[in-house]
Amino acid sequence: MPNDLLLSIRDLHTWFELRRWGFVRVGFVHAVDGVDFDLHRGEAVAIVGESGCGKSTLAKTILGLHLPRQGEIIFDGKPVRGREDLRWYRARVGYIQQDPYGAVPPFMRVQRILEEPLIINGIGPKDERVGRIRTALEDVKLTPVDDFLPRFPHMLSGGQQQRLVIARAMILQPQLIVADEPVSMLDASVRVEILQLLRGLQERYGLSVIYITHDLSTVRYFCERVCVMYGGLIIERASMADLLRTPRHPYTQALLAAIPDPDPANAHRLRDVPSGEPPSLLHPPAACRFHPRCPSFMPGICDIHVPKDFEPSPGQHVLCWLYDDTGLVAPSSTKRA
Amino acid sequence: MTPTPSETFVIENLRLYFRTHQGPVQAVDGVSLTLGRGRTIVVVGESGCGKTSLGRAILRLLPRNVQTYSGSVWLNGVDVMALPEEQFRQQVRWTQLAWVPQGAMNALNPVIGIGDQIAEALLAHQQADNPLSARRAVEEGVGQVGVPLDFLDRYPFELSGGMRQRLVLAMALITHPDVIVLDEPTSALDVLTQANIMNVLKTIKRSTDTRFILITHDIAASSELADDAAVMYAGQFVEVSGADQFYREPLHPYSQALMASVPALRGDKRLAAIPGQPPSLINPPTGCRFADRCPARFSKCSEEPPLFPVGGRLVKCWLYEERAHAE
Repeated sequence: MPNDLLLSIRDLHTWFELRRWGFVRVGFVHAVDGVDFDLHRGEAVAIVGESGCGKSTLAKTILGLHLPRQGEIIFDGKPVRGREDLRWYRARVGYIQQDPYGAVPPFMRVQRILEEPLIINGIGPKDERVGRIRTALEDVKLTPVDDFLPRFPHMLSGGQQQRLVIARAMILQPQLIVADEPVSMLDASVRVEILQLLRGLQERYGLSVIYITHDLSTVRYFCERVCVMYGGLIIERASMADLLRTPRHPYTQALLAAIPDPDPANAHRLRDVPSGEPPSLLHPPAACRFHPRCPSFMPGICDIHVPKDFEPSPGQHVLCWLYDDTGLVAPSSTKRA
Repeated sequence: MTPTPSETFVIENLRLYFRTHQGPVQAVDGVSLTLGRGRTIVVVGESGCGKTSLGRAILRLLPRNVQTYSGSVWLNGVDVMALPEEQFRQQVRWTQLAWVPQGAMNALNPVIGIGDQIAEALLAHQQADNPLSARRAVEEGVGQVGVPLDFLDRYPFELSGGMRQRLVLAMALITHPDVIVLDEPTSALDVLTQANIMNVLKTIKRSTDTRFILITHDIAASSELADDAAVMYAGQFVEVSGADQFYREPLHPYSQALMASVPALRGDKRLAAIPGQPPSLINPPTGCRFADRCPARFSKCSEEPPLFPVGGRLVKCWLYEERAHAE
C-alpha cells in the first residue's frame, strides 16, 4: 500500500560540528547516524531510548528544526528539500514539546497563543480563527472555553499547560504529530490523563503520531509499534507486543529487564544491568555500537562488521549479528560486511 | 507514644509550616513514623504533597520563612529536635542523619576534586585524624558504591550523571550514619543507570544496618527498596503499611488511585487517572483532604479521620473505622 505511507525517512544523518576556540574543528557529534523509518497514516510509533541516544535530535530533524547532513525526508510522497517545501511541510506537522511551560510564551494569553499559528499561515477571517480555537480547546478538554481564553500560561496547572501545547499542535489540523516526551514532566496521575487524551485525538482524527520517550512502560498504552534507539541508530523495530514477548537485541533485553513494575518482590533481588555508559557520539564505537557493553559480544564479528538489518520474525527488525541467518560473516572472515 | 528504646528511629507529630503572604503553608502537618534498624521506608506522593519538606524537616534544613516547626525526632534515645542548632550540626547532621538531596548529581562542588570533597565530610566531623586516614576511608567508601578509584582525582564535570549520583551517595554513607534520607535519588537518571543505583542501594542495605527514608514520586522504582511504604497527601500520611501488602493491595482510596495510575510494562493493567487537583496547603479542607477527589466519599468525610490501625497497617480513612474497631 504505497499511498498509505505518510512519512518515510531514508538514511538520515544529523551531525553537529564541534569546534574549539570558535574555529578549529574538533569533530562531529553523530547524533543521528543513518536512520531509516516509515510511518503509515493513522499509526502511532514510539521511539524509545536513553538520554543522549539521539532521539530528540531525530524528532527535531523530522520537524525540520535541524537540517540533516545527509538523507531525505519524504512526506506524503513529496521529498522535503527547500524553504518552500519546509513551509508546506511544517503546516502539516504538529510538535508537542517536553516542557509545556517553557514551550509557550508567558506574556501571551491562551487565545493569542493559539491564534498565532493561524495568522502566520494566513487562515482567516477572525471569526473562523476563533471558531478553530474554540474547537481545539474543547478537543483537549480545556472547558469551559471562555474561562481559559483570557488566561496566561502561569494561571494553568502543569496538566492544563500540556493540554494547551497539544491544542496548539492540533490547531492547524496536521496529519502528523511529533510528541517529544510529552508526559515526562508531569505527575503520574496527570500523565495517564494526557496519554489518554492524545490517544483519543489520534484515533478521532486519524493522526499519525511519533511518540518520543525514555519510558517504555507508557508506550504500551499509546503505540502499536516501537523503535529502540541506541547510539544514534534504530537498533530494533517491532510491534510493542513482540518487543515485550521476545526482545531480540541484547540492549533491548537489558532495557526491559531494568524497568521495574510496582512489586514488593523487587526489593529481594538485584537486577542484571550491563556495565558501562552509553557511547560517546563524538567517537562512537566501531561496528556495533553496543559491543563494549554487550553480554553476548562476539569478538571478531561485533567489533569489526557493522551489523545489518535482520528480520528474525516477521515484522521484527534488529541490527545484531546474533540473528544472522545468512552466514555472511564467519568469525574468521575479515572482509567488511 | 512514650520515649522509645534506643534501637528505633521515631518521628512524632512533625509539623513544618511556611509563612507566605496568603497565610501559612502546611507543608508537613503532623507526620509520625517508626523505623527499625536496617529498615527502609519509602514516602510516595505527587509533587507538592510535602514529601521533600518532610525530608528537610527531619534534617532541620529549613528555609528562612518557617512559621511553625514542631514535633520530635527520636534517634538513639535522644530527641534531636530539642538540641540547639550548633549541637545538632556537630553531633547529628551528617554524623547520624545524612541526606542525599534531589538532583544530587548537581550537588557536588564543581571546583573541588571528588576525593577531597568526600574527605571533607570526615574531617569536618572529626571522624578522621588526618587527611591520609580520611583518604583511606574515602577509598573504601567509594569502592562500596562501585566507582573506580582513579576517579577520585577528577572533578565533577568529568563524570557522568550516574557516577556523580553514586559519589553523592558515598558522601552520605562515609560517616556511617544511622539514617539516610534519599530525596528522589534516581528520578533524573536513565533507566539502566537507575537500575544500577538501585542495585548499589540494595547491596548497601544488605551489608549495613543503615535505615533509609526514600522519598519519591516514582512508585515502580520505590518498590525496589521498600520494607515499608507511606503515602503522603496534602502534608499528611494517609497510609502507612508493610511493602508486601501495600503494593499488592493498597487500602486508602488515594493509594488505590495512585497505584491505578502507574503504567506497568508487564501484565495487562488498565490505567486510570485521578480526577481533580490536590488541595491547596494554605487552606486545606477541614475534613478528609482527599474527599473532593474520592470515589468512595460519604457523609462522614467532612470530618477529619484519624489513622485507623487495620491489620498492622495505618489508614487515614473513615471506610476502615469498623474494621479497626472489630480488631
